[in-house]
Amino acid sequence: MGPHGNDAWGDGPGDGRPAGPRPAPAADPASGAQSGWDDNWRRGAVPHWSDLEEDDAHDESGTMVRPYTITRGRTAPERDDLTLITVLTTAEEEADAALARGSRAGARGIQPEHRLILERCRRPAAVAEVAAGLDLPVSVTKILLGDLVAQGLLKARAPLSVARAAGGMDLGLLTAVREGLRRL
Amino acid sequence: MATPHSATDHPAAAAAPVAPAAVKILIAGGFGVGKTTLVGSVSEVTPLRTEEYLTRASIGVDDLAGVDQKTTTTVALDFGRITISPELVVYLFGTPGQERFWFMWNDLVNGALGGIVIADTRRLETSFASIDFFESRGIPFVVAINCFHNTNTRTPDEIRAALDLDPQVPMLLGDVRERDFGRDLLLALVDHLMDLAATPAG
Repeated sequence: MGPHGNDAWGDGPGDGRPAGPRPAPAADPASGAQSGWDDNWRRGAVPHWSDLEEDDAHDESGTMVRPYTITRGRTAPERDDLTLITVLTTAEEEADAALARGSRAGARGIQPEHRLILERCRRPAAVAEVAAGLDLPVSVTKILLGDLVAQGLLKARAPLSVARAAGGMDLGLLTAVREGLRRL
Repeated sequence: MATPHSATDHPAAAAAPVAPAAVKILIAGGFGVGKTTLVGSVSEVTPLRTEEYLTRASIGVDDLAGVDQKTTTTVALDFGRITISPELVVYLFGTPGQERFWFMWNDLVNGALGGIVIADTRRLETSFASIDFFESRGIPFVVAINCFHNTNTRTPDEIRAALDLDPQVPMLLGDVRERDFGRDLLLALVDHLMDLAATPAG
């Protein structure tokens, strides 16, 4: 991880808006904030591909291979409805049964990453949180999550719609958010 | 975070946790402007980091390399969370510093409640792209002028003019390291959203 150089500027989002000159920005000092994550639940469980990658962010060919071995070569989830903030919750009974069976499973059984996810999601967690905890890219994590949702071991809750096309956002939602923020 | 899970307390279905609904707010701005700092100042957890592979070819129009030169870039994403209630969680995503990559990250952008663009008066131009992006996508946003360097010699009107901000767009000056300022920014965004909801621009 870390900054990948200063090539931040293309031609913008490609919508043709005039935007004026946009000089390349300076390097990103904010990228060092890797310590202190909430990663207790994954520590010590499995040796991890990313441990080998700490200062190797430019070796993109290398980082492409290993995560996808975890997914058995799949590069796209079978379901496309998982978003960064889809909230996942372990289906306790089904998961416990599957985890018990999994101890004797072969290649088709529950993988270590699946097991970690099921343990993690006993408390509801968003896809992004699961990915951060596993230290796997979001797309790889989604594949693993999709496996478990498909087996009925995880329940997925889609994010709230914030569609603003018709008459603005839900005022009830906004009011609830506002009340919560005021307590910060 | 919720209370630690006990392996003995889940035989009954009723004990199963109910998943909260989630919404997200994007924190944008140029390199090193304080996005992760802001996330950290209001998040109930230390900012988490995850990453994603983005394929350069899907940038589309500004890709000069050609589709057969498809390359994949890893972008890192810092985020935090604020639990509003057992039923509702707000996720705060600090957008990756490399704008052209997060701009095409549809999963990051789609469904966002709104955005906060952080700007630094010493280099306002590094936040132009984020402002343009939110405007073009119709994502409501507020602007935070990060003054933690204490070097701001511009008036709010000057900054607003330099950023070419719509008069409706709220702009706040403060220190993103301070939780109160982070809270005020989020409240300003929600108030702005409520104003927009009350008076649809059509």
